[in-house]
Amino acid sequence: MLARALEAHGIATTSISLVREHTDKVKPPRALFVPFPFGHALGRPNAPDLQHRVLRAALDLLTEPAGPVLRDFPDDAEPGDQPPAPRQASVIPVASNAAGDAVAEVRDLREGHAQRLAKHGGRTAFGLSGVDVARFDDVVPFLQRFAESGDAELAGRPAVALPAFVRWCADDLKALAFESFMAMRPEAGGDEVARWFWSTTAAGQLLRRVRDRLDASDDPAWKAAAFGVAR
Amino acid sequence: MPRLDRLPEANRKNLLNLPMQANDSAPFTRLAKPLTACRLAIVTTAGLHRRGDTPFGPGEQTYRVIPADTPAADIVQSHTSLGFDRTAIMRDVNISYPIDRLRELVDRRALGGLAPNGYSFMGAQRELTKIANETGPEVAGRLRADGADAVLLTPT
Repeated sequence: MLARALEAHGIATTSISLVREHTDKVKPPRALFVPFPFGHALGRPNAPDLQHRVLRAALDLLTEPAGPVLRDFPDDAEPGDQPPAPRQASVIPVASNAAGDAVAEVRDLREGHAQRLAKHGGRTAFGLSGVDVARFDDVVPFLQRFAESGDAELAGRPAVALPAFVRWCADDLKALAFESFMAMRPEAGGDEVARWFWSTTAAGQLLRRVRDRLDASDDPAWKAAAFGVAR
Repeated sequence: MPRLDRLPEANRKNLLNLPMQANDSAPFTRLAKPLTACRLAIVTTAGLHRRGDTPFGPGEQTYRVIPADTPAADIVQSHTSLGFDRTAIMRDVNISYPIDRLRELVDRRALGGLAPNGYSFMGAQRELTKIANETGPEVAGRLRADGADAVLLTPT
């Protein structure tokens, strides 16, 4: 749809498509269907050769003289099992030995995250809430108060609506946890990380409660934020 | 994949039931010069932006500008959907925003250059009227002003 809007205004486009059925219907001017899971448009992370092959196939379409063109990236370009999509929180039970103290836990998570950053060239998904990582020792009690009562404040936070801020704090907490787990287990797939987080961590249990609190509201903005925290 | 036949039944039905505009043809702009002389821009629907930019809210139909010289480490994602594996982009932003790969193509002279800005929208949207009529055309205008010859569109 966006491709069509750009093309109608004189910009040649080529799109990478993850759902062939949708692309076939919407008909962007030029599209490459790739046989990869959601979240993996270019193939695999840190696999520059595969990413270049995908890119080359997509860019080659730009020289097509007419369209719409929908081409398939070869299915056998990336043999082997695709990683399964991570399970959602609602189907992952909380383990009987799950951690209870989210405040103590976040200090460990911050440490693991710092190790990950050092090994990963400073790349991190952290940074949506606008709150410094060191202040997450305060963000966790803030989220706990929010989950309890639906009303909490954090001194000096960015001036955005409360549910949006809660959602971005939740995203940052997940980034801290996921990346700290990946520091220990660099090859872990998304499903393994999700199962660890939602079944064994105190942060995972806290975010389930935050989600329930947001979802209990009649306000669509609160419900929308809940949808992004956990499902 | 997601080859739909490899997805769980509920996800497959959900995807196939999404309201989707059906078209018989497509607007088409021919590329005026070879790729080796083109300036390319990435436009993504992965909900990406620079760290410090206001994150996307659910259903937001506006866009963020990502200058082409933004280091990959400064790009973050505020996509609402939990329906995809976030660990891939945590490992490598090029999985949805192949900025390092494009820089390599420019270095190898396989691509003329990068336009000064990329643009990013939120994905997993059901209501697209404003993007189709307003913010999409606005980005097209900005791309032309940027001197972009072509665009690579990437999802998450």
